[in-house]
Parts: sequence; C-alpha cells; structure tokens
Amino acid sequence: MDKIYEIVAAPGTSRFLLLMVVLFPFLAAFFVSLFGRRARRAALFLAFVHLGLTTCLVVIGTMHLNVRGEQSTLRNKDIVKFQPTFIPGDTSGRSGEDGRTGWTLLSLTSSPPSANRAGPYVQFFVGMDGLNLWLVALSSFMLIPAILVSWDSVKERPGGFFGWMFFLQGAAIGAFLSFDVILFYVFFELTLIPAFFLIGKWGQGSARRDAARKFFLYTLAGSLLTLVGVIGVVVTNPDPLTGQITFSLPDLMGNVQHWLKIAHDEALAGKPEKLAALHATQFWLFIAMMAGFMVKVPIWPFHTWLPGAYGEAPIGVTILLAALLAKLGTFGILRFVLPLVPDASLMYGLPVVGSLAAFGIVYAALCAYAQKDMKLMIAYSSVSHLGFLVLGIFAFNAEGLSGSVLHMVNHGLSTGAVFALLAFLLDRYRTTQISQYGGLMGRFPNFALLTFILCLASIGLPGLNNFVSEMLMLAGLFHADMPHSHHYTLSVIAAFSIFLSSWYIMTMLQKVFFSPLKEPHPAEPESATPPADVSRRELFAFGSLAGLCLILGLYPQPVLDSLKTDVSYLSHIGDGARARVKGEAIPPDVVELAPVAPKSTPKKGK
Amino acid sequence: MNPLSDPQLQHTLSGVFRLVVPEIVLVGTACIVFLFGSIFNRRWIWFTTSLLGVIAAMVVAGTVKTATPEVLTTASIVPDAMGGFVRWVALISAAVLLFISWPEVNRSIAAEYYGCLLVAVAGTSLVGRANDLITLFLALELISIPTYILLYLPVRTKRNQEAAAKYFLLSVLSSAVLLFGFSYLYGLTGSTNIAVIVDTLTKANAEVLSPMALVGIVMVIAAIGFRITAVPFHFYAPDVYEGGPGGVVSMLAVLPKIAGFVALARVLGLVGSDSRHIPFDANTQLPLLLWILAILTITIGNVLALLQDNIRRMLAYSSVAHGGYMLIGIVVACSLPDATGNLRYGAEGLVTGPAVGGIDALLVYLVAYGLMTFGAFAVILYLSTPERSVDAIDDLAGLGQTHPISAGTMAIFLFSLIGLPLTAGFAGKLLLFVGAFTAPADTATMRNLYRLLAVVAAVNAAIGAYYYLRVIGVMYLRTALNPIRSSRSAPTLIGAVALAGATLFFGIFPQPIVNAARKAAPVPEIPSTTVAEAK
Repeated sequence: MDKIYEIVAAPGTSRFLLLMVVLFPFLAAFFVSLFGRRARRAALFLAFVHLGLTTCLVVIGTMHLNVRGEQSTLRNKDIVKFQPTFIPGDTSGRSGEDGRTGWTLLSLTSSPPSANRAGPYVQFFVGMDGLNLWLVALSSFMLIPAILVSWDSVKERPGGFFGWMFFLQGAAIGAFLSFDVILFYVFFELTLIPAFFLIGKWGQGSARRDAARKFFLYTLAGSLLTLVGVIGVVVTNPDPLTGQITFSLPDLMGNVQHWLKIAHDEALAGKPEKLAALHATQFWLFIAMMAGFMVKVPIWPFHTWLPGAYGEAPIGVTILLAALLAKLGTFGILRFVLPLVPDASLMYGLPVVGSLAAFGIVYAALCAYAQKDMKLMIAYSSVSHLGFLVLGIFAFNAEGLSGSVLHMVNHGLSTGAVFALLAFLLDRYRTTQISQYGGLMGRFPNFALLTFILCLASIGLPGLNNFVSEMLMLAGLFHADMPHSHHYTLSVIAAFSIFLSSWYIMTMLQKVFFSPLKEPHPAEPESATPPADVSRRELFAFGSLAGLCLILGLYPQPVLDSLKTDVSYLSHIGDGARARVKGEAIPPDVVELAPVAPKSTPKKGK
Repeated sequence: MNPLSDPQLQHTLSGVFRLVVPEIVLVGTACIVFLFGSIFNRRWIWFTTSLLGVIAAMVVAGTVKTATPEVLTTASIVPDAMGGFVRWVALISAAVLLFISWPEVNRSIAAEYYGCLLVAVAGTSLVGRANDLITLFLALELISIPTYILLYLPVRTKRNQEAAAKYFLLSVLSSAVLLFGFSYLYGLTGSTNIAVIVDTLTKANAEVLSPMALVGIVMVIAAIGFRITAVPFHFYAPDVYEGGPGGVVSMLAVLPKIAGFVALARVLGLVGSDSRHIPFDANTQLPLLLWILAILTITIGNVLALLQDNIRRMLAYSSVAHGGYMLIGIVVACSLPDATGNLRYGAEGLVTGPAVGGIDALLVYLVAYGLMTFGAFAVILYLSTPERSVDAIDDLAGLGQTHPISAGTMAIFLFSLIGLPLTAGFAGKLLLFVGAFTAPADTATMRNLYRLLAVVAAVNAAIGAYYYLRVIGVMYLRTALNPIRSSRSAPTLIGAVALAGATLFFGIFPQPIVNAARKAAPVPEIPSTTVAEAK
C-alpha cells in the first residue's frame, strides 16, 4: 500500500496528472471532432477517461491537503499566500518553499529570470489547492450527464458539438486551476468561443443567434474591465524587495498585504493618508474587477443575457453553462477579488454587491415563479441561488467562505441535474411548457422519483447537499462582523430565499406531476409505442447525480476538511481588512493557523 | 581645419550607402521589373523576380555589417535597432503582399504592380532609419507615390477612380502640411537633422517652452495623422478601402501605419537617444493632445464601424480604431520622461524602470495588426472573383460550410482583431494596457487620465467585438443563400493560412516579438542621477 502511495504521490506523477487534467479536454476536443457521426460514443469514452484522471487527482489531492492541514506549522503571521501544489514545471526543489513554475510564456524584463524571485512574467502557472480541487472534479463529472442527455437530441454535426463541449470543459478547468492572473483571464475568455458556437449553432429556438451574441458581448465587455482591474492591481503592487511587478497570484497577494500593512502601521501611528489613498485605489479596482464577475455570475441587474442564453442553448450546453460557467464568476470573486482588494471587498462587498445580490434573490425568485417554461424557471432559480452564494462569499469569514466553496460544488450538481431532467421531457415531447403537462407521476413513476429527489436537493432539504452549504453560509452571514452594513437584513433575505425557492419549485412539481394526466403530442407521433419511462442511459445520468447529491448531503466532511486550510488564509485576510477598516490594530489572536505546505510525506499506516 | 575635411564627417557621409543596401536592392529590382515589364508582361515572371528581389534584400540585410555613423548630428541614416526592426517587418510584409495580391494582378499590369510594391516597401524600410527631416520626408513620399499608381492601375469602375483621386489629393495635402511643420522645426533649430533638433529643443525647453516648436509638432502630428488614419484625418479611409483593389488596400492599411508611427516616435524624440529628452512640452500639452487624439480615434472608429454593412468599409473603420489603440503607446511613451514620481523603490534600494515602455508595446501591436489585417484582406481577396467581389458582410453567409478553410482563418483574424486570448491581438492589447497603467498617475495635469485611457480602450474593445462577432455569426450561424465561388488562388490561400498560423503562434508565445520590440525600443531606465534627486 505504501509503495503504491509513493508512486502516485511522487511529485512528477501528480504534476503530470494535473497537466493532463487541463490539457486532456483540448486533445479530446480535437479527436472527437474527427469522429463525425460516431462522435457521441467517442465523447462518452473520453469523458470517462478524463473522469478517471480527475478521480486520481482528487484522491492524491485530498490526501495531500489533509496532511498539510494536520501539519499546521505557524510561520509568517502577517502575510498569507495561496499555496498551490502539483505545479507542472515546478522550480522549487526544497520543501516548504512556495511553489513556482518555470514555464514562462511572456517575460517583461530583459534580465534573466531567477528561480526564486517573482518577476514580470506571464507564466503557465497551474496548480491545485483546496479551493479549486472540488470544482475541477465537478467540471470533469458534469460533462458525462451533459453528453448523455445530448445523446439523441444532437443530430446535426455531432462531432463539432461534442468537440466544443470538451473545449468548454477544458477552458473552465484551466480557469479554475490558474494561479497566474493573466492565464486565468485567458482561460476565462476562452470559454466564450465554444459557448458562442454551441448556443448559436446547435441552439433550439429561433433567437439562438441573438442569444449567443448577447452572451458573448456581455461577458466580454465585463471581463475586459476585469482585465483592466487586474492589471491595475498588478502595476500598483510591485514586489517590496525588487520593485518588479508580478503576475503570479500568490506573490501578488503577498505584495498587496505588504503594502496594506505598511499603510496600516502608519495609520495606527496617526498618519492615515496612505491607507486612505490605498482604499481609494482599491475602490476603483474593486469595481473594475467585479464588472466581469458580476456579469458572469450573474448578479442583478447584469443578468439579462442569462434567460436568452440558458433558454436557447441545447440542454446539454445549458447544464455546462449553469454548472460550470456560472461558477467561474463566483470563483473569480473568491480567488481574485477577495485577496487582491480585501479592504474594498469588505467595505463595498456586502453593502453594495450584497444588496444587489439580495435584491436579485427576491427578484429572480418572483421571475421564476412567473415563468411558463420550466427551463426558464430553473434559469431564474439559478440566479436566485447564486445571489445567496455571493452573499456567503462577501461575509468574508471562515463559515461563509467554506460554505460558499461547498455551495459552488453543490449548486453545480443540483442545478445541472435539474436541467438534465428537462432533457427527459424534451426528448419525448419537445417542449418544457408547464401548462402542457400534468399528472406525470402516474405516467413515469421512476422519473418522478428522481425529479423529486433532485428538486428537493435544489431547495435545500436536510440530508441533501444544498442544505449543508446553505446553513454554513447563513451562519457566516449572521456571524459576519461587518462595519457599516446591515448583515442581519441580508441574512434574513438569504434565509427567505430558501422558502421562496421551495414555493416555486413545489408549485411547478404540483402542476406537472400531480394534476390530472395531461401530456403534449409526442416528439415521434408515428411510432407505435408511447413514450417510455427512464431508459438505462437516462437512469445512469440522473441516478448518479442524485446519488452524489445524497452523499454530499450526508457526509460533506471530507470536502470541508480539504478546503479548511485555504479558507483559513482567506478569512485571515478578511480579519486583517476588518481591522484596517475599523482603524484598529490586528488583534494577535486572530492568527489561527497559517501552515506551511511541505511536500506531502505520507504517514505510515494511513 | 576646414570642417568639411574632417575625416569622421567624410566617413559618415560616404558610409550612408552601406546602410541602405537592402533598400537599394529592392529599388534596383523594381527598376528591372519596370524596364523589362514593357517588353514581356507575364505575371509569374515578375512575381518570381520580385520575390527573388525581396529574398536578396533579406539576405543582404542579414549579412552586410553596418557601423553606427561617427557623427550622429550629420548622419541622415542611422542603423539602430529600431531601423532593423522596421526593415524586417517591411521585408516580410513585402513577401506576404506578393503572395496575397496574386489574384488581382493580371498580365497587363503585373510589372508595374510589383515594381510599385517593392518601392513602397523600400520607403517603409527607409523611414525606420531616417535621421534627417529631408530623408524622412523622401522616404514617406516613396511610400505615397507608388500607392497613387497602384490605386489607379486596376481601375475599372467609377468607384475605383474616386478612391484613387481622393487618396491622391488628401495625401498631397498632408505632405504639404508635413513640410510646413518641418519648416518650423528647421527654422527654430537651424538643422534638418533629427538628433540635432531633439537636442536643441530639449536644451531650449529647460529654460522656456517654445510655442513655435509646438506649432511645428502639431503640424507634423496632423500630417502623420493622415497616414495613421487618426480621427479627424481619417475621412479618406472608408472610401479608399471600399473602392481600392484589395491587395493595395491591405498594403495601404499597414505600411503607412508602420511608417507613420515610427516617424512620429522619431520626431518626438522617443526613439534612439536618451529617452529622457523632452524636445516638446511633454509635461502637459503634448500627451494631452495625443491623449485626445487617441480617445477620439478609438471611439469614433469603433462606433462608425458598427454601422457598416460593407466588410471593406468595416475593416477601414476598424483600422482607424486600431490606429487609436496604437496611439496609446505613443501617449505612454511621451509620459515616461516625466515619470520621476513613479519611481518604485525596493527595500534594498533597488530601482527598476517600468515594465512596458510604450513604444515597445506599439511595435508589438503593429506586428499583430499587420498579421490580422493582411490576413483578413487575404481571405477577402481569395473569395473575390473579377465577376463578383466580396463586398457586403452578407456575402459571407454560410462560409463555414462552403469554404471551411477560409472561414476558419477569417475567424482567427477576427478573434485576433477583437483581442481574444491566444491570438496576437491579445498580446498587443495586454502590453498596451500594462503600459497605460505604468504611466505616472500623479503628475499635476494629467492625473489619472492615463488609466482612464486604459478603461476607454477596454470599453471600446468590447464595442469593437460587436461588429467583428457579427461577421463570425454570419459565416458560421447562417446558411449560404448564394454560395460564393472563390478565386482559387493558391498563393493567397497559402498566405492566409500562414498568417493565421503566425497569429496563433504569437498569441500563445509572444516572446519573440516582444524581445525584438524591446531591443528596438528599450524600455527607459531611470538614470541614477534622478534617483538620487528623488531620494
């Protein structure tokens, strides 16, 4: 057993594995597109291969993260940095050193790069830590139901369709794993190209071209401002020792904290000008960086692209849009906005963005209730749930942050699953109008059972996955120690959103499943047999999703354990920001743990 | 001693020819082509001869050793790194243009067409190394005059004629304005040598700012604004792009822009000598003027491009907008001598210069712009036939199915024009944005204007995406009503595919261009004296 662990946990293996997890979807995209008519089988096979790779990564990764979490060695208390591991091209030989990569794409200096110093390099810097591991697992897994539900419905050029699906998945995984700010932006933007073609070319409605264009342009406009904001952070926070700018996220967040600490010390000594100037800069950078993420999440009033894109996209693509791409927005806030502009995130996060999100929760819930089409109803419910998630992030404390990371995974699973269920109806009747259906409970009992489980998971029933993360986020919100903000009001609205979501979901279930039997014309009227209950293929797609929802609802502890350390970094940054905004000294006891990331040395017998 | 018999001076003056051997090769080839073209006019003969000429020029450029002239204040040509960069860009452009213009050259005009092309390329290359107002002016005319002929050569319709006449008249006017501006600079300094002018004006500036110098440089900027299609000197662009022959238009969209920006950088003293020279009022007026020009150019170019249904007109306005992005580089470079407030001190007392200097970002963007503009016109040329030329955007409907290769390459060029990652356009934009943020944010008059420039550029990039994306949508999301038959010109297609490959390669790994650009225009180091003062 130890021998196997030594082989798989060797640095070379895990780095190669991580690299493959990023690059495999792009290779798969190329191969699948060559298959033409028989692409769907190839796509399913390759998706399973990728899931296998990701499972290996998750197994090794959780072991590594748990070992790291146990070895909680205190070190530099002032400055915490993300500690990615499994970095392809890693240059750090010694253990305990921050991970860096040597794979430079663009160097903005004429002096030769030195291995241990940050410099103005754009690098292919990908790595794993507690925040992104589970999102990568989600991205890898969700492609399988997305392929399964597109099995029969995609008839036109399936090679291209499944190829672009892999491309989309690869870009999302790349964005989750990036630790270079420019590389993240590259992957973030790269999701637009496959999404544009998937919606515009394989979409279902007549307005698909407009929907695709609107989605592309909205996201691009927001993310260009995000790029400006990120560059602003990079240029205004050079390395304190060398004066060089850096694009590496861990180094950059160290620099940000360094300059804030200097200004804070001056402010405590009675000279607040520098801190005030930094806060003024952060305000603008916060707005610029949030622009792209608010569109991507989306937060009201930047959500107007969403009904069109989700409604017109083929159902498999809608699953990926809701499960993966929406998470890019919230993940961007977590990974970039909080550590790079911490004070502004605290000052304007809950009061401004949080208020918008809270309004959006209620607004989108009402919109969802009013929809006549199930697909649009779930699209709006997704906006409502994501508003909750944004509130949890901006609570900026350990409970809120770990709840929101977990909720990203949970929401991806459950919303993706509910969209996948619609494929069942679309395949048989080509419509998702609520008024066309009734009494399906008797007609398709197995389908009804699966639907109830997944819808209840989406509402947040105890024992299912969303309950855990929603409770954690609520705890974080109530507990949020926020200067100048009405966090109690916001938490009440957030709690109310759970009630709202059960209201509209239950109404829909009642109309579709319990009234007298009513079904629209089948998609294939000439076939002799009437539409049948869930097939084996569908059972696998829905059943695996429902099973995962149940597992994560009953036993979320492994996930929470593995992200504990990284959440503690962020909440530590939050505590520092809180002290600065209040004008107090950072109390010495807030430093809980800032463990080093040594090379994982397995414990015997474990 | 008689200054004229100074051996260094003599050496400088007589060494000039050695510095322009590749250009001489180009012009010599052009002469052969012109001369014998009247005897046998066959396309392939003159295509091969011109290509051999360009290759010979490349060989010569790579092998002939040149030394910097000893007396810089008399030298009319300087073989510095900037000159080398421009020369290579010009020579490679020449090869690309020869390939992509294949379908529109016929046997009656082949010799004249290729000859004029070579002369214009030689002119562009000369602009890069001109160190004298007269040389600079002659080099710029060496680009313009062949262009007049090229625009007239394949004239068939009234619209072609209108384009040629319009370009001719406005170009002559701008040359006159340029000479007028040069005359002020000469009058103030008593020399036509750019090194002397920059030195003299910098010294004069230290005492009192000269309004006359400002008048002169405003005239120069106006005249060069015509070549780089800066608003409000852009009016000819849409008509000429629409009416002119495709290959000539693609040349017109790129070569004068390279020449214009390099000339502007030279006259403003941003290249070569000490970058902390401030020949003009770099503190407020000049950056502010260029700032306004950049904002106007980007915004108006992009907004007007939104309204176009003709793809050539759309590309014309888009080229106006891209000229505006490149002006950002000049604005940033103008601000850097003033950057004492932006010094960054390390805890160990290390001081580093800015990460991006402006001119280097401009050069990278010029290369990226050249790749995608040549490419887009190459695809249009490939799809146009003498009977039916591709004009309306709707002509491209369903191209994704009927011509997958052309559609794929066109999509790459359009994504690059939008500035999406993994294309050369993104690398250019990234450097410009970093440059705009590097510019000092704490000067008294400009304050946060440089950063605002980055924001305006970002918003405009999003506006620009609208019209480029429209073309992609038409190509891939619609079906062809009236499928176009391509010209089946293999050289053009080879050119387009090679350009698309280069666009992707330099998008993923831009380091080679960035290194070359930084060698041509080194990022200003902050001299140690200033550091001591600031401390």
